[in-house]
Amino acid sequence: MGHHVNAELVANVLKVVAQPGDRVEPEDTLVILESMKMEIPVQAEVAGTVAEVGVSEGDVVTEGDLIADIDAD
Amino acid sequence: MTTTHDAPATAQKPAKLPRAEDPRNPNMRLAAFFDEGTVELISADDDSGMLAAVGTVDGVHTVAFCSDATIMGGAMGHEGCKVVVAAYDRAMADRAPIVGLWHSGGARLAEGVLSLHAVGLIFQAMTRASGKVPQISVVLGPAAGGAAYGPALTDVVILGPEGRIFVTGPDVVRSVTGEDVDMLRLGGPEPHGRRSGVVHVLAESEAHALGEGRRLVALLGDQRVLGVDSVDDVDLSEHLPESKKRAYDVHLLVGHVLDEGSMVELHNKWAPNIVTALGRFGGRTVGVIANNPLRLGGCLDSPSAEKAARFVRTCDAYGIPLIVLVDVPGYLPGVGQEWDGVVRRGAKLLHAFGEAQVPRVTLVTRKAYGGAYIAMNSRSLGATRVFAWPGAEIAVMGAIAAVRILHRRKIAAVAEDLRPTVELELAAEHEKITGGVDKAMQIGVVDEVVQPSLTRSALAVALAQVDTGSRGQHGNIPL
Repeated sequence: MGHHVNAELVANVLKVVAQPGDRVEPEDTLVILESMKMEIPVQAEVAGTVAEVGVSEGDVVTEGDLIADIDAD
Repeated sequence: MTTTHDAPATAQKPAKLPRAEDPRNPNMRLAAFFDEGTVELISADDDSGMLAAVGTVDGVHTVAFCSDATIMGGAMGHEGCKVVVAAYDRAMADRAPIVGLWHSGGARLAEGVLSLHAVGLIFQAMTRASGKVPQISVVLGPAAGGAAYGPALTDVVILGPEGRIFVTGPDVVRSVTGEDVDMLRLGGPEPHGRRSGVVHVLAESEAHALGEGRRLVALLGDQRVLGVDSVDDVDLSEHLPESKKRAYDVHLLVGHVLDEGSMVELHNKWAPNIVTALGRFGGRTVGVIANNPLRLGGCLDSPSAEKAARFVRTCDAYGIPLIVLVDVPGYLPGVGQEWDGVVRRGAKLLHAFGEAQVPRVTLVTRKAYGGAYIAMNSRSLGATRVFAWPGAEIAVMGAIAAVRILHRRKIAAVAEDLRPTVELELAAEHEKITGGVDKAMQIGVVDEVVQPSLTRSALAVALAQVDTGSRGQHGNIPL
């Protein structure tokens, strides 16, 4: 089942850590955002395989934007 | 609110077991909840749809009532409602915690307005008891209509995996709005754990739900005395990253401030940018509130302020001291927040701290900026004692952001490639004048800089000095 990970706040995409096809476990970092002068990791909530990463480094995301899609185990 | 059909609200209809063997039999549920062999019924075991008992929970004298889902799916008639009101009278007389085990389709339709009136009397009893005796609800099956608002009026709501809470069930939703939705999506663990904030604790099984109920009864009903000597010091800075810019999950820090293994988190998934947890500290029940930088950078926003405000008032009503761990960059900015009522809902937290009578100590670990600094149990709101770790920043905003506003013209006048350097210089100067812990101590908004490795004992001494049983004299409205 596809598990969507969405941005919780307006932020710059500082670093994309996970790539499509990567295995992830809960709490693995997918992307690092920069907002409120902080580096905020966006973590997986489920174990699975990354199906899609919706952002690139330098993008500006707003609340609700798709960060990644995980095919949960 | 509507009445629901008398039939059970459960979708599946398994072959009916004899009542003695039915796992929904309230006798079995009450026996599973109380300490073994301590259950003493205080209502008749008849067809009223409710059963009440007294007993002990970890030795704490406790009153409990339980829906009888073997009869009309636990639907509530006036006789069953009388059982609940009598249980409340008993809890008030005994000054005992009261626990409701819920599995009910709502008011009995066949009784008409009589049952609505009776359900209303339960709400009245709950409200009268609010802030006087701890009230815990464990929702084990559907809790619809009146059975939804019952738990919602209590201090803590625990939801079992089969628990479903809603005002109107799927059939009514479908007939009125045409929306096709099932009970799980309407009122299961996901919506209430993450979105609505109705549920404080999600449980994995019925046994787990009852177990969490027992832990909370023990924490609220047997608070014990803080033993300063039993509080060991550990280096709490281990649980923060080295880089000040790096976000982190504050749960580890909260868990290590508390006595090992004692933490019961409330609202774990709702408004996760603030953590609210009960636990033991030096053996005594305390409440911990902590900004969680991993989520939304730890910003305060509408739901998190509301969540924290209710938690502060819960602790204040029952005389539970508070430890407030501050690492907050500010309020979350934006149209969404303003329209969501961050001013009105954020004011609840100011009010909650401002009125709290319990001992409440604050520790600023990394930073406390702006309006959020005030809201996180600042000196001005009446904090018992304010600690800060070395290097903590207490300011209106970060220094760079501040000089960009204060020196806008000066910065605009220099060449673009030189601006970062100029900003840094101005920021260093600004910090010297306004920021830093030293300045905060001079003003008197921080009492003491404490090393992370000596923090637990410092918190213990500060709390023990003022822990004289003071508590707020107010109800605990579900904010």
